[in-house]
Amino acid sequence: MKEIVFAGLGGQGILTSGLVISQIAVAKGMNATWIPQYGAAMRGGTANCTVKFGEGMVYNPAQEEPDILLAMNNPSFQKFVGIVAPGGTVIVDSALVNCDTAVRDDITVIGIPSTEMALEIGHAKGANIIMAGLIAKVSGDFTEEEGLKGMNEMFKKKGKGKFEEINSKAFKLGYNFVK
Amino acid sequence: MSDMVKGNHAFAEAAVRAGARFYAGYPITPSTEIMEYLSTRMEEVGGVFIQAENEGASMNILTGASASGVRCFTASSSVGMTLKQEAISHMADSDLPFLAFNVVRYGNGLGTLDTGQSDYHRDTRGGGSGDYRCIVLAPYSIPEAVELISVGFDLSDQYLVGTIIHTEAALGQMMEPCDMPEMKTVERRFGAIDGTYSHKRISPLTRNRLEEAVEMKERYERIKANEQRWESEYVEDADYVLVAYGLAGRSVIGAVKQLREEGHKVGYIRPITLWPYPEKAFEAVNPEVKGYISVEENATGQMVDDIALTLKKTSQASKDVFALTYAYGVPAMKKIKADFIRITKGEIKEVY
Repeated sequence: MKEIVFAGLGGQGILTSGLVISQIAVAKGMNATWIPQYGAAMRGGTANCTVKFGEGMVYNPAQEEPDILLAMNNPSFQKFVGIVAPGGTVIVDSALVNCDTAVRDDITVIGIPSTEMALEIGHAKGANIIMAGLIAKVSGDFTEEEGLKGMNEMFKKKGKGKFEEINSKAFKLGYNFVK
Repeated sequence: MSDMVKGNHAFAEAAVRAGARFYAGYPITPSTEIMEYLSTRMEEVGGVFIQAENEGASMNILTGASASGVRCFTASSSVGMTLKQEAISHMADSDLPFLAFNVVRYGNGLGTLDTGQSDYHRDTRGGGSGDYRCIVLAPYSIPEAVELISVGFDLSDQYLVGTIIHTEAALGQMMEPCDMPEMKTVERRFGAIDGTYSHKRISPLTRNRLEEAVEMKERYERIKANEQRWESEYVEDADYVLVAYGLAGRSVIGAVKQLREEGHKVGYIRPITLWPYPEKAFEAVNPEVKGYISVEENATGQMVDDIALTLKKTSQASKDVFALTYAYGVPAMKKIKADFIRITKGEIKEVY
């Protein structure tokens, strides 16, 4: 069972990034849960969600000990880095997270300039998709094809199929960012 | 495999597919998406959707719908449900079935927007003034909620009582894959109103309230005898049995399985009906069990009372009953496990 926490600023597409990963897992026949931080929230405020997926039943859908943390700003990194499982991975946007990230020696930190990369391919709002691609790779549970299939089916059903080409490009960029 | 679906949206669609064609309510976080979804969906299926001026009015509107024999429902959250209690008591007095979603948010008064299990006492004891009960169903997943919604409507019609789908903010707001049942066609129930003043409860002048009370008691006894639902595992040889419902129940199942793997003889009972309380589940427990542990998403412990009462009834009154209470949020499995160990070391005192 994998646990991933997605955290950042409201408006960065954090919740959608989590949903993409959960839907990729479901498309592969796994069980999955997606649970947002709910309560009072506003545009520009912090947002986070927790995704769990795996072969068996997902017991507690809420946060316990994430295997992967995505942090899209400093407060998100600082708030959640402490609960990451030993041996886990933290993925940060290297332009947006500029605080000291070398705070634990039992986790791996991957910095990726996702916001800049999204701008370079002309997909200004695509940083969250690049991150989904990278997370799909880091999790070790999905091939690039499985990831693309799960994501594109999801957006198609939401009536957003016209972004398939650019979303696929963003996803592949993230997926291939690490070996 | 089905797609990820949000709890509140799945609940609303499941009610429509269970044949409900009348919704009245008033929005309140974290239940609002139920109502938002129905604002367009009801029209598609030829049903009625009413956003009332407040919670009380919406429940009074539902009284009329139920009296006319339509399968009807409402949705709200904790304090909003409090405002519906006057009408719920009136509906109980007139034997009018309905279904209500209580997407519980934790806290007193207006409460918070966080998830919780703080309405256990209120919902399992009727809720308003008087001497009545509602059937209370507590799903632990979105697919189970979808299944129980149809069951709840049927039980309401069968026993002429209200049914509360007692869920919580986190289940309403979360997503998981869920298949939807086929659309059910439901015949209009014989209602209280048929234009001939024939219904026994139409006029207060002609009612025999003593007879009604005796019949109601007998009906509640039948519900208690026939409608208890629960899930349990590993109770036959358990030293300790953890008891929890809803998402806390889901977390407890995970914690119990891990504790078993670590060599602890623990079992669990997950009540699915909160009223009637699943007393029968406790009959299968190891007679040598050392104690019961209620795991709840609140601060004071509420269901723990029903465990103690049940043990008295099942001749286990001497057993210790503990409460692990966690206000704000679904308790983590590792927290439940750690606190269980503290109980075995005598660091947490029993409630009963």
